[in-house]
Amino acid sequence: MKANRWYWAVALAIAIALPWLFYNWSTGRQSGFAVTLLSEVGLMIMFALSYNMQFGHAGLLSFGHAVLFGLGGYTTAHALNGIRGAELWIPMELVPLAGGLGGLVFGVVFGYLATKQRATAFAMITMGLGELVTAAALMFITFFGGEGGVSTDRVIEASLVGASYASPIQVYYLIVGWGFVSILLMKLQTQTPLGRMANAQRDNFERTQFVGYDPRLIRFYQFVLSGFFAGIAGGLFVILHEIVTFDAVAASKSASALLASYIGGAGGFFGPIVGAIVVVLMQSGVSLLSSAWLLYLGTLFILMVMYAPGGITGLLALHAPIVRIGRLGELIVPYARALLPAAVCLAGFVMLVELASFNTIGASQGKEFSFFGQALDARSVTTWLGGFALLIVGGLWLRAESRTFARTFNALLEAAKTEGGAR
Amino acid sequence: MTAALSLVDVRKNFGETQIIRGVNLEIPKGQRHAIIGPNGAGKTTLFNLISGRFPITSGSIALNGERIDTLPPHEINRRGLSRSFQITSIFPKMSVFENIRCGLLWSRGYKYSFWHLLGRQKALNEESERLLERLNLQSRRDLTAGLLSYAEQRSLEIGITIAGGAEVILLDEPTAGMSHSETEYAVNLIRTVSEGKTLLMVEHDMSVVFGLADAVSVVVYGEVIASDAPDKIRGNKAVQEAYLGTEAA
Repeated sequence: MKANRWYWAVALAIAIALPWLFYNWSTGRQSGFAVTLLSEVGLMIMFALSYNMQFGHAGLLSFGHAVLFGLGGYTTAHALNGIRGAELWIPMELVPLAGGLGGLVFGVVFGYLATKQRATAFAMITMGLGELVTAAALMFITFFGGEGGVSTDRVIEASLVGASYASPIQVYYLIVGWGFVSILLMKLQTQTPLGRMANAQRDNFERTQFVGYDPRLIRFYQFVLSGFFAGIAGGLFVILHEIVTFDAVAASKSASALLASYIGGAGGFFGPIVGAIVVVLMQSGVSLLSSAWLLYLGTLFILMVMYAPGGITGLLALHAPIVRIGRLGELIVPYARALLPAAVCLAGFVMLVELASFNTIGASQGKEFSFFGQALDARSVTTWLGGFALLIVGGLWLRAESRTFARTFNALLEAAKTEGGAR
Repeated sequence: MTAALSLVDVRKNFGETQIIRGVNLEIPKGQRHAIIGPNGAGKTTLFNLISGRFPITSGSIALNGERIDTLPPHEINRRGLSRSFQITSIFPKMSVFENIRCGLLWSRGYKYSFWHLLGRQKALNEESERLLERLNLQSRRDLTAGLLSYAEQRSLEIGITIAGGAEVILLDEPTAGMSHSETEYAVNLIRTVSEGKTLLMVEHDMSVVFGLADAVSVVVYGEVIASDAPDKIRGNKAVQEAYLGTEAA
């Protein structure tokens, strides 16, 4: 338990220190891009973790989680505008709670409908609700502001700590504060009767009935709590961007939570954190380099579903027994050997994708195609053949290499098992 | 005194097919009652009707004099009736200890609480440990339940079933698929955990039935053809013809 507290403290310290890595000491200014990116990561982590309260912990595959996030956002935007209008003194630090309450209230409404069912039917209902709210966001202008959304101004000059929240770094620290508390609460929730019964209901819903629980109510309460945390994230989103539009409730936003949870690993608590970081880095980082970033994210998702259903954290956890017997070092060489063919294969794939995307978009803009700083003729057959060659040679080589790798890995796992048994 | 469980003219149809064709059964408090009968006679269906898993077509089922035949399973469970399943039904991804604790939660008043941390519930955790000891599973405490041996999983399921302190316990073939020694162990376990409670069980192993039950009912084609003390059942002509006889032959 003590070691655990230590991890939390370190994580918080890292979150606080991170923006200063990008601080420009000569001009004395924060990097706007880095601070916004880090803020987005924080929001995505909260959003993905709240999603995983349903998906990973309760086995509820939702396609409409952004509804709770976005409605939390709209609620917060109206709350902020209301605070300004009425000249109330409500400290900014408490405003995200409006989002949480918005998420909670809409969680009750939508949860009542969706949690009547589980499994596929639940997924279908959430998908329908997502479409319904997105359509409503464009139709009901009074609350949703139509296509323009609802804008607000976060500088309300009321703060418990004397911050004005005019600068993004202050908003970042607001996100860190609420994020830390939310993550901690969500983690603790897994150790409560409701959290445990959510797992129980996921694994064997019928059994939960015969120990006295109504599985529907377990799903409902879990859904509502998840809505609360999604709403807080939505509230912080509005404070960060000072605007919320229908994008915040749309299907692609819901999908990003699913992607983050799955890629990071929905089985454990911390997986979605890793997944959220990956998703935001691809959204904001890779998108600067390539217009095909969504295709890469999709490919990564498919690969994870096919080869690593436990997600990134699941892959790491596979190594735990080998670490325990202190033989992780023996995997360095096999990994290094697999790395080269993997890089070749990836380069081939990226080259083909970029060629295709260049010929449809880039060429018309009169740009030159270059790959790793090398100018190439995007229309020549040789370039395309080169891409295919890299992909195929890399792929075959990787397949051969992965067989050797699997042998070494399994042998080590076997060794760990016997050693564990001998103890 | 009202019976622990009483079934009056209970019927169940699946479409056109009559599966349970008018069952009448009185089980007094504290009795260990076995239900036997050939495959497909409707024994498990009867269990599913009593525990609320399926709705009945007609008739009535009462627990301690109170009608339960329209209640959902969790309501029936809260009124003091608990059951196990023919195909082991545990929480396979949780630890053995967690399984037992999940069985205890409702009866100890935790409901859907998200403000109690389970690690700090001393009384609850101690009670779970004591139950693990009674089940002889304390050495498996932290193992994932799905990794237990078959017989251990059956023991665990009995544990989950009795954890909530139900007064009426339904066990569906608790010793099916067990070796001789495992069966012996399971019978002793069932005997101790059903002490002072009402037990209704479906069982195929006659040594278990005659060793454990105070009364036996024979179900054939959805009807109870005889219900009596074990010795008398053994001597019952109709039963021998319908069931015991065919097995002996």
